[in-house]
Amino acid sequence: MAYLNDIEIESALQNLAAGYPDSTELIDCPNVTHEGRRSRVLRVGTMRDAAVDGVLLLGGVHAREWVPPDALISLAADLLEAHEIGTGLVYDGKRFSASEVRQVLESLDLFIYPCVNPDGRHFSQTNDPLWRKNRRPNLSNESCVGVDINRNFDFLWDHLTKFAPNSGVSASEDPCNKQVYRGPSPTSEPETKNVVWLLDTYPQIRWHMDVHSAVPVILHSWGSDQDQTAESTQTFLNSVFDSVRGLPDDRAYGEYITQADLDIVKTLSNRMSEAVKAVRGDEYPIEQAFGLYPTSGASDDYAFSRHFEDPSKTKVYGFTVECGRDFQPAWTEAEEVIREVSAGLLAFCLETSSMAARSTPSSVDRHAASE
Amino acid sequence: MNEDMMNEDPVVRVQIEAPTVADLRAFTDELGPADLGCRAIPRQTEGSFVVDGYLPETRLEAARGSRTASRVSLRVVDENATQTGRERQSEVGDGDRFASRGQLPRGLGRKE
Repeated sequence: MAYLNDIEIESALQNLAAGYPDSTELIDCPNVTHEGRRSRVLRVGTMRDAAVDGVLLLGGVHAREWVPPDALISLAADLLEAHEIGTGLVYDGKRFSASEVRQVLESLDLFIYPCVNPDGRHFSQTNDPLWRKNRRPNLSNESCVGVDINRNFDFLWDHLTKFAPNSGVSASEDPCNKQVYRGPSPTSEPETKNVVWLLDTYPQIRWHMDVHSAVPVILHSWGSDQDQTAESTQTFLNSVFDSVRGLPDDRAYGEYITQADLDIVKTLSNRMSEAVKAVRGDEYPIEQAFGLYPTSGASDDYAFSRHFEDPSKTKVYGFTVECGRDFQPAWTEAEEVIREVSAGLLAFCLETSSMAARSTPSSVDRHAASE
Repeated sequence: MNEDMMNEDPVVRVQIEAPTVADLRAFTDELGPADLGCRAIPRQTEGSFVVDGYLPETRLEAARGSRTASRVSLRVVDENATQTGRERQSEVGDGDRFASRGQLPRGLGRKE
């Protein structure tokens, strides 16, 4: 076995859709990449009528992180096969029963988008292995290529005005920055537009997991400043705090999150971490996405922010998992990481399904009403 | 490999370890814009915090001599991460193993 190349990822999705027509739908993303590639999303589940909660799983946003797309293809294939033949799934020390597989397939609407940035993956796998961004040349300086998709989302995108000058925010306005160039405007890139399109088009999506590598760690909102649950005026929407946002261990600003939301994201993160550990004992700690520095324009924060920016939009809880310890481990190790991530993502999905079942008028009740 | 790639300064993967997050940040602040992985999330180990950095060889030497370098330890994990990545490119699929429309991908989980 070997890592999937960009062509194989698309073929795998098409074959899975053709092989399991009753429990899949292949979605063409509308925006073609700079190099002309079209990316697709595999919708997995037997309930595709917007009556159940959606879970969006992203991979391949960063080109050099080779494991996540393979992990998402493997997970989709596992779920579909196990569901069809009526078995459970075992990832070394972690076992999921047949009824748990059915629960995921029959009570959730999974949107599996394994390779958001196929141009970047192709370049990383055939040319510069450490390439991170997409491959669109900058219009003002064509010798500088690429935008960091995970700094291009419309969440505090303009880091120069939205953060304290000494915050060290992880983003750059320099088109020649090889890692974290944010792009010429928010959502300027076709790859970013495709993710936004999914969130806009499928309002049943309530959970967003962006699979990256490698730390390892499970990250939850927010990435812009340290979380706090007391001061509801201190939010990314409030420009009064633009000059002080993003500094650690200060009293001037912390990103507001309700205790209830914090409890939800921590519970989900815990379930995922426990499942990962059960596979081969590896620890994926749980952290807030604000690490050494704040981050702007990331997909997880964008997904979570949409509801606060426009309450008519679904509240989507955003997460990132940084799997494994290398961007490109030897394939034998990559297989182990794939098993860990698969177990973690499956536990994550099960918990979202259970949360939906416990809450009203969420998916279970909506589903019942539609029958 | 083209000429530009051959002339590239090798990228060294280094683990930056410090007793506190503040020490780690002081060092990376002084280092300036650097590739600190996907997101710069420090890993907590026994009594210290660690973050990975990917630095051109020339910058690594400058980093070792920086004012705050005494507060961190730098351990080279991979002397040429670019070369390691190029070796991994041989582990990428060649062609299309799913070209036949009946060829279903199979996951790594055991079905039982």
